[in-house]
Amino acid sequence: MEAAATVASIPEEWSTRIDVHQDRQGRRYEVECRPDTLQDLCAWIVQTLDYSFAGLVVEQQSGEWSLRYLFHAADARSGRIDVLLRQPLSQVHFPSISGSLYAADWHEREAEDLFEIAFDGHPRLGDFILHDDAWQEGLAPMRKDFNGREPPALRAPNPNWRPDRIVHAPGVFGMPIGPVYSSTAESAHFLLETVGEDVIRVVPRFFYKYRAVEKIAEGRPAEDALLLAERFNGITAFAHGLAFAQALEAIGGIEVPQRALALRVLLAELERLRHHTGAIQEICESTALVVAASQAAILEEELLRLSGELTGHRYLYGLLACGGLSRDLDDAALRAATVRARGILQQLQALEKRLVRTSSFLDRLEQVGIVTEEEARACGVVGPIARASGLARDLRVALPYCGYGGYGFEVPKEAEGDGYARLRILCAEARQSVRIMEQALASLPAGPVRAADIRPCAGAALGWTEAPVGAAFHWLRVDSRGAVVRYRIIPPSFANWHVFHLAAEAFAFQDFPIILASFGLSVAENDR
Amino acid sequence: MTQWVLSGLAARVRTTRYPARQDQSPGVSPGFPVGRALADGDRGAVVERCPTGALTRRDRRIWVDPRRCVHCYRCARGDDALEWQQGYEWAAVATSRPAGEERTPPLSSAFARSLHVRVVDAGDCGACLHEVKQLANPYYNAHRLGFFFTPTPRHADILIVVGPGTDQMRTALEKAYTALPTPRRVIAVGACALSGSVFGPSFACSDGVRSIIPVDIEVPGGPPPPFAILHALLVATGRAQPAGWAAGTQWAARPGPAAEESGA
Amino acid sequence: MIEAVGIGAFFLLCALGALLALLSPQRRNPAVLAVTGAAAAIALSIAAADALFTGQSYLADLWSLPWGGTLRLGLDRISGLFLLIAGIIHLATSIFSGGYLRRYLGHYSLRSFSVLYHSLFASIGAVLLARDALSFLLTWEMMSIASALLVMYEHRREENVRAGYLMLAMGEAGTLAVVIALLLLGNAAGSLDFHAMRASGPALGSGARWAIFLLSLFGFGVKAGLVPFNSWLPRAHPVAPANVSALLSGVILNLGIYGIVRVNVDILPASLVGAGVVALIVGAVSAFVGILYATTDNDAKGMLAHSSIENMGIIVVGLGAGFVFTAAGRPALAGMAFVAALYHLTNHSVYKALLFLGAGTVDYRAGTRDLDRLGGLIRTMPWTALYFLVGSLSIAAMYPFSGFASEWLTLQVLLRSVELTSTAVKLVYAFTGVVLALTAALAVTCFVKAFAMGFLGMCRSREAEQATEAPRSMLAPMGALAALCIVLGVIPTFVIPTLSGALASVGDGRATEALVPAFFSSSPDHSALPAAFVSDFHDLGAETGESFIPGRGLVVLHRGGPDNPVIFAMSTSYGVVVLVILLGVLAGIVLWTTRRRRVTREAHWDGGVRQLFPEMTYTATGFSNPVRVVFDAILRPRTVEDTEETVAQHFRVAIRRAREPVYLVDRLFLDVLTAQLMRGARLLARMHRGKVNAYVAYVLGALIVFLILSVMV
Repeated sequence: MEAAATVASIPEEWSTRIDVHQDRQGRRYEVECRPDTLQDLCAWIVQTLDYSFAGLVVEQQSGEWSLRYLFHAADARSGRIDVLLRQPLSQVHFPSISGSLYAADWHEREAEDLFEIAFDGHPRLGDFILHDDAWQEGLAPMRKDFNGREPPALRAPNPNWRPDRIVHAPGVFGMPIGPVYSSTAESAHFLLETVGEDVIRVVPRFFYKYRAVEKIAEGRPAEDALLLAERFNGITAFAHGLAFAQALEAIGGIEVPQRALALRVLLAELERLRHHTGAIQEICESTALVVAASQAAILEEELLRLSGELTGHRYLYGLLACGGLSRDLDDAALRAATVRARGILQQLQALEKRLVRTSSFLDRLEQVGIVTEEEARACGVVGPIARASGLARDLRVALPYCGYGGYGFEVPKEAEGDGYARLRILCAEARQSVRIMEQALASLPAGPVRAADIRPCAGAALGWTEAPVGAAFHWLRVDSRGAVVRYRIIPPSFANWHVFHLAAEAFAFQDFPIILASFGLSVAENDR
Repeated sequence: MTQWVLSGLAARVRTTRYPARQDQSPGVSPGFPVGRALADGDRGAVVERCPTGALTRRDRRIWVDPRRCVHCYRCARGDDALEWQQGYEWAAVATSRPAGEERTPPLSSAFARSLHVRVVDAGDCGACLHEVKQLANPYYNAHRLGFFFTPTPRHADILIVVGPGTDQMRTALEKAYTALPTPRRVIAVGACALSGSVFGPSFACSDGVRSIIPVDIEVPGGPPPPFAILHALLVATGRAQPAGWAAGTQWAARPGPAAEESGA
Repeated sequence: MIEAVGIGAFFLLCALGALLALLSPQRRNPAVLAVTGAAAAIALSIAAADALFTGQSYLADLWSLPWGGTLRLGLDRISGLFLLIAGIIHLATSIFSGGYLRRYLGHYSLRSFSVLYHSLFASIGAVLLARDALSFLLTWEMMSIASALLVMYEHRREENVRAGYLMLAMGEAGTLAVVIALLLLGNAAGSLDFHAMRASGPALGSGARWAIFLLSLFGFGVKAGLVPFNSWLPRAHPVAPANVSALLSGVILNLGIYGIVRVNVDILPASLVGAGVVALIVGAVSAFVGILYATTDNDAKGMLAHSSIENMGIIVVGLGAGFVFTAAGRPALAGMAFVAALYHLTNHSVYKALLFLGAGTVDYRAGTRDLDRLGGLIRTMPWTALYFLVGSLSIAAMYPFSGFASEWLTLQVLLRSVELTSTAVKLVYAFTGVVLALTAALAVTCFVKAFAMGFLGMCRSREAEQATEAPRSMLAPMGALAALCIVLGVIPTFVIPTLSGALASVGDGRATEALVPAFFSSSPDHSALPAAFVSDFHDLGAETGESFIPGRGLVVLHRGGPDNPVIFAMSTSYGVVVLVILLGVLAGIVLWTTRRRRVTREAHWDGGVRQLFPEMTYTATGFSNPVRVVFDAILRPRTVEDTEETVAQHFRVAIRRAREPVYLVDRLFLDVLTAQLMRGARLLARMHRGKVNAYVAYVLGALIVFLILSVMV
């Protein structure tokens, strides 16, 4: 209650209005803020109240800009804080908070690029989502008057575009990697500034895969937008679909049946188990440990087949629906699947044991790709990477959903922040996932899996899940016909790629793929 | 090191017998809806539930365009659900290469046992790419069939393209295609690569990679399972027949706007 | 007769060249220099070639000095060899200068250059012709001063002037050692004449021999750039004009070797195994240090200068092996070792002159020698690129270019240490061999870097983009030197007898018999060879070509005992024929099989970036950085800058890194020496207290010391 008391002090201390909302999603404080106090207030919330910055939602509403800075606490009782900044549409200059809250860096860059609004004081704007050597400056695709269905008539990329290089050293050059690189890697570009051997600076360039999911969702019926939520990052489709469904359910005040909640938990943890097995496989492969990589690949394929057998789809597509699940699953099949998952976990643990005994493998991971706790905190890192750097952040604990509060599980934490710590976190979380699956199965109630009365309802809400890679937030605003007005995805990879370049610096070229694999991030999720 | 040898041996052989024998393992395929004739009184309302226009009504039948199906399973739910068929031999030879070119023949037998593949991710959600990657796992072991992934298109005979073809990947995709030595074939994998699925067309994304580079073989599915991709590679080298689709399935010549056909 | 006329003409032409330079206008000076320099070089070459190939020797007394001794000039075969090399290199650089010197028009005085150039040439000739210690030292000093002045030619740059003075200072220290060595010899002989010294040599004790050996090795070693007295070389060679750099590396370094050979092979043949061991170690260390710094240097000329140290090291290794074999009573092996050393010296002069001229051309046309800023020049300067490639392949000892034959022979000679008895000496040989092998590998890296970063890839600067090909007057001498690189590599069986013959006048010239047996000659004198051996090789068709190939055949072959009739054998001549046939056949097959294929050219694969910028390609620093990382413990560069600038706490706007190379020899030797000297000077300075009685005491003390000394002596 101490935190709440401090939140309560916001009105006097910052001379502003604060609204308290209490609903099934938990407690939420909405703070109206003036531009001149925004930066200090946000810094104060993070530093004094110890809230985490979740993201920035920019909305172009009729007549005004609304910038919503989302914060959440680390424990379930303190809830969330939304800081709201409103300005008339003609006023496109906003204060930047990145100077004191570095985690907001990419959020501001994205908003600047897509809305053509300016964040005064941000040192590096432009060329972020829309590449300057592919599009002209001044394009604002997320504005309401931009027709997202067709390419703009004018196409005038900047002919003088040059990669951003800041390293000054004799003989320094940029080693380009990608966008098409490795054998089967997602498209992304990294420019390694180096004088050979050691990487001095990494300049990542993403959004080659930018599909404008947020833009094309606008105007679609919410249930079709759910398809986008599921499919913009197929590897963790269920987690994102779930976050979207929860946002939609929060808008409509829909009560999801207990059986559906338990099944959602079970499937989400199955997805986490499969994702982490895949991530471990990638790490093994990056260190050229072929037998281990094959063994992990076997386990991953078994989990994919298990998912396919249980739900009909290997990546759990088409199961989620607003108000629950689109179909029920057979209890016997669920039991069998959980037993098999336990068996696969045991094999995974045996594999982990072998890996830990292999010194040549550990040599490539230990003390490599380090993210310090300080860096992780500053960059707003989430998920397993944060937990490997000593930040035990987990939305299942901080903002419980789907009844996660009722399950017994631990949030593993490591301090080193290196590749090995991340591997240990992945293994530990896989264990917890099976533990949760078993609990969900044991407490599985009978009954319907979908709420009966679902009607379109205007409103806006935030949905969130702890996706396998970390905290995922989906902000959704729908109109009274149930069509999407604004859809904002804040994926965990977006937060985590932000820190990646720091981890990959000061190491040799040959460590780069290993560091990349140990992050286990998705580009599709980041690019949207 | 011995632990790896021993545990590797203990893992026993998992590799499928496909293509010598069909693999019927459960959970390898998401399935596909099968079109049906409309009985009297059946309006075929199920067609309206399809969000991507993969289902159309014509001549008192429901037709399925596999290029557009994204496995949302809406037509699999409810009383008037379509029948779904398992299986995975879905790869078909593309019908519409640019002007003047007919369906491309399979590569010569010289490539039968040594085919190098470069994968390009043109905005994929990760699932298709992941399924392509699974070809290397011991279950599918594409190496046994002479299929190899290569990091450079210069050494590749086949370009596998996943994803709808985002605008920002256009140059890279074109460059990768021109870097491929002839004879070359392009396999478009997944509904996104074939029709843009839920993403395209838009200002940032095309309606499939055909609008960027010519496509020779199409593998529908969202995502197609590894077996389907394996089948596509076999089709590319003339070692398997292209998909024989069940009655009621049609390959539209070129997917048009969904609204046009659904009313027909 | 030819010798006398040639030498006379040479000195006259040099004088004429200097005179004409003063009389003609600045603008005409390069052309005049090219003509007179080339004429002098031709005159010298003819005289030298006659002496070398026919064995004619020549001796002329110039004048007698009132206090004893006669100044003498002479020409024997060993001088002939060095003079011929000097003549050929001078011929090339003189013609090259005709075009190259134009870059200085209006910036520096071409007259003074020309005068210095001709005096340098004359003094080089005189050093090699001198036959007594006095004239040798006089001309040596002339040569030192002239070369230092030429290094300082671009005198408005401070680094050049510093480098010139450093070169002069270290050279003088070396000269001092040489003076002592020659005085020791002269003291024993009672004369400063080389001939008299040679006659009295055998009477010297081992202490005096050690002293003379060490003084001459390190004294002349300064000029040859041997570790640890070489820190002037990488500073001076790169800053000189390219034509002078070519002379410094191609000719003047040879003078150091000439001095060592003259004293330790001719006048006082080595009789100490230990002396040879010292030479082996000095040579090996020089070779390794040289190539290590060459590989990590990104200045095209600096790299070549460091590589000169490496090559001098290899030559001294050959000499050291020869000294050991001589002392161990193995004259044939010693001859082989000396031949290997002289062969490498010849090759080095040719390819290093070629490479310096190439680097100078690049500097002239592209405006920079920094390999990090060059690139892609093969498209704009194809001929320069071709010649530089030939030079690079030669210096990297690639078959069948010239460096290969001599380095191969040096390593083979080192392997002959099995014929020695002392295990310790064998271990030194093994160490030397290993170091040379590592050196050879690094040399390949080094010159792959030089050629690739200079001529291949994308242009990394605007200057490099705008470079144009050099005029023919600059290309022709480079072409000739490149041709010579190939010729010297392809006909070792003709080079070896010549070099062995050159050694006949100063030592034992048995290498011809040991390396190129008469067996393959056109006038077979097989009686010296075992009959079984002859018949075996006849069956193999070894006599093919006997009837129409002059000389002693085309195979370098070292015979052993009955157990192992052939110890090593090699023929680049036949190898080239086979290579050409194989490549031709291969090209034919490729052309035939693809005759119906349509060739399409597409841009290279760049990972799909929208545009590949030159700054996204490897730099020379990047290419050689693995070497820098591996040998970090030896190189230990000094960190000059390592900072990060950020705004708003987390946004980095600049990262600055700079490391400055620290020269190993400076760090371990010169800096220590300087520090000690300064300390000594500070100690001595304490004597000066400014009190009269203290100075009186010093005078008294000194007097007493001298009195005691005089009583004792």
